[in-house]
Amino acid sequence: MLLTAPNEPAVAAEEAAASLSRVTRVFGVTPALVRVDLEVARGEVLLVRGPNGAGKSTLLAILATVLSPTYGSGSVLGFPLDRGRDEIRRRIELIGHTTRLYEDLSGRENLRFWARLTGVDPGRVDGALESVGLAAAADERVRGYSQGMRQRVAVARATLREPALLLLDEPYAGLDDEAKEAVDALVARTAARGATVVLATHDPTRGGSAGRTLYMDGGRIVPDPTAAGPQP
Amino acid sequence: MTLVRQAGTIAAKDLRIEVRGRHALGTILPFAATLLIAFGLSIGPGRTLLRQTAPGLLWLAMLFASVLAFRRSYEAEGEDGALEGLVLAPIDKAAVFLGKAAAVAAQLVVLWAAVLVLVAALFDVSLGGDAGIVVAACLLGTIGLAAVGSLFGVLTESPRAREAIVPLLVLPLAVPVLLSGVKATSLALAGLGSQAGGWLALLVAFDVVFLAAGTIVFEYLVED
Repeated sequence: MLLTAPNEPAVAAEEAAASLSRVTRVFGVTPALVRVDLEVARGEVLLVRGPNGAGKSTLLAILATVLSPTYGSGSVLGFPLDRGRDEIRRRIELIGHTTRLYEDLSGRENLRFWARLTGVDPGRVDGALESVGLAAAADERVRGYSQGMRQRVAVARATLREPALLLLDEPYAGLDDEAKEAVDALVARTAARGATVVLATHDPTRGGSAGRTLYMDGGRIVPDPTAAGPQP
Repeated sequence: MTLVRQAGTIAAKDLRIEVRGRHALGTILPFAATLLIAFGLSIGPGRTLLRQTAPGLLWLAMLFASVLAFRRSYEAEGEDGALEGLVLAPIDKAAVFLGKAAAVAAQLVVLWAAVLVLVAALFDVSLGGDAGIVVAACLLGTIGLAAVGSLFGVLTESPRAREAIVPLLVLPLAVPVLLSGVKATSLALAGLGSQAGGWLALLVAFDVVFLAAGTIVFEYLVED
């Protein structure tokens, strides 16, 4: 990943997994992102840090096409954010603050629903659940799951489609060690097969495999105040 | 074909959740029954008047009860941000609308059956020889209500909307269903079912318009 000044693209467009140009997002009158320029190379693991309200979640939501930029433009995996939403969504996975599970369905039923909906072979569900250590609890209703178990189901769901870009927004929040390890394993597996990962987290003990760290504050990308050396 | 498969997957998921939660059986049916009893008590003991007003009370009870079903249909989507998952899924958003409408319609059909039995018992009404017209009106009305409710029910999950937005939008829009349904049912109960064709045609037109509108517009309601 290279963070660039406006009009100074450092990574060729065809190589970028994600590219944003002067992207601003405003909620009402409150700006959440301010003129952000960003390029993420394919196959890169990018760590995004910053305090609460820094704009990390908004940045990931825009990359995931959950939100649209108020101003500015960008592309993800070569598809423009404004016109390529469907193409982008076929190739990405977002693990966010919420796990997007149905509480009255079991973990297995949730994943089977997702597989059928997105055209994935439902036969992959059992393996995915097993890989996050949830085979034994797969038929229990999600309502009875801990937050860590829910997040492990979300991790299992993210493995069903092998996305080209994996976006993780505070995936460690409120998790036990086992669930944190499941998230780390997902990041490692995704990176190992050459896909791109963007990981936003507060947790200073996580994200060690990142090739580069981006620091955000006040909706802008800024130099990391905790870094000792010169900033890129 | 993909749209139908995706809509069917969503409908099956909604019905499975409904069967688990027993919301229709545990909440909506008692609500409809309470409404019917309250309407009956407010009108008084006169059997003739009760029989004459039965079609209107039947459709009013179903209309109000269906609003609860619409609200419930999207409740599960809001519990853990599941609606965002449907928005992010690489599927035609019309499949979400059609799937939810199909699941709500299935629940309303069950509700109709129970409410028709209640009306027959409470108001001393016999469906007689034109029962087919009553059933047709109920089925066509169900499709229209499910379409309107599934289209606007999603607004309850919008952070900018309030819960009251659904009845405020749905009840006025459902007036043509209410009027056509009451008229067709009244004619059928009076043994004049052959004259109900125009009202049934109006219900068909309403269904077509709102199913088409929902298929086209739903995406714009859920996307940023």
